[in-house]
Amino acid sequence: MTNLTTIVSVAGASFAASFVEAVEALTIVLAVGLARGWRPALTGAAAALAALALIVAALGPLLGAIPIRALQFIVGVLLLMFGLRWLRKAILRTIGVIALHDEDAAFQRETRELTAAERRQARGLDWIAGVTAFKAVLLEGIEVVFIVIAVGAARGLLGLASVGALAACVLVAVIGAAIHRPLARVPENALKFAVGVMLSAFGLFWTGESLGVDWPGGDAAILAFAALFLGVAAVLVVLLKPQLAEHA
Amino acid sequence: MIGAIVAQLIGLFVDDEFLATAILAAVAVAGALALSAAAPAWVAGLLLTLALPAALAASVVRSAWRASRETTGG
Repeated sequence: MTNLTTIVSVAGASFAASFVEAVEALTIVLAVGLARGWRPALTGAAAALAALALIVAALGPLLGAIPIRALQFIVGVLLLMFGLRWLRKAILRTIGVIALHDEDAAFQRETRELTAAERRQARGLDWIAGVTAFKAVLLEGIEVVFIVIAVGAARGLLGLASVGALAACVLVAVIGAAIHRPLARVPENALKFAVGVMLSAFGLFWTGESLGVDWPGGDAAILAFAALFLGVAAVLVVLLKPQLAEHA
Repeated sequence: MIGAIVAQLIGLFVDDEFLATAILAAVAVAGALALSAAAPAWVAGLLLTLALPAALAASVVRSAWRASRETTGG
């Protein structure tokens, strides 16, 4: 039986992770739209959404055919690789080893590249712009689909995870349509930190469960694992940040 | 474009080879323990619980140390 901890964790992780991905996709689509017009931007984005729908329609039924233990193992290991990678990057950004992701900078860079392409090639501009929007939405969308499957499938909560992801994408799209600017004020690294912690906790839980581990406390162990990863990350930040500042 | 998409998809899971290898090694050892019944399942769970945060910490410390050396020119 699914308890409240699982429901909140699945919906929350799916919403937060999808929010970050949607913000990144929005930045590129906005850059294309403002630099080259909304027709190629929206056509590319719509084509990517159609491609994503096809991928989901094709792969979705396969999920039901995979035994639950095997699904938990595959999803658990992929979540560990995905979540710990996010968490590692968030820690490295917090301590200043790598630069913070800046939506304004990404927007400026994409606009510059599209403007440079305009000078080089007068024809086929819509095509280049459309493909840029298509690629951005497809790649970020695939990440959203993976996150939904990863946090939802192993507990039969795909619907709940999908609602969380859809709510995030709709929210970002509405805000983007309203302000026509990248969402630079979103605390992206803090969100990635939190999502990295949650996805790693889910990954550890499901990988262990697939190997027959009976975690103490059942699903509540996910929260304990989240606290463990958060604690380790906090210790790393506290220990490493001053040392790196000294050497800077 | 397909090549770039595939490369980015792999990049979703593998960024630091050390971390990716450490995760897979921890899972492989835990899996071998659990499936061979050489130890109770909780041992595999304990191994994952200790090894995965340790792998994260080692990966971050390695990157920070490398960055620090580059900054000081050492």
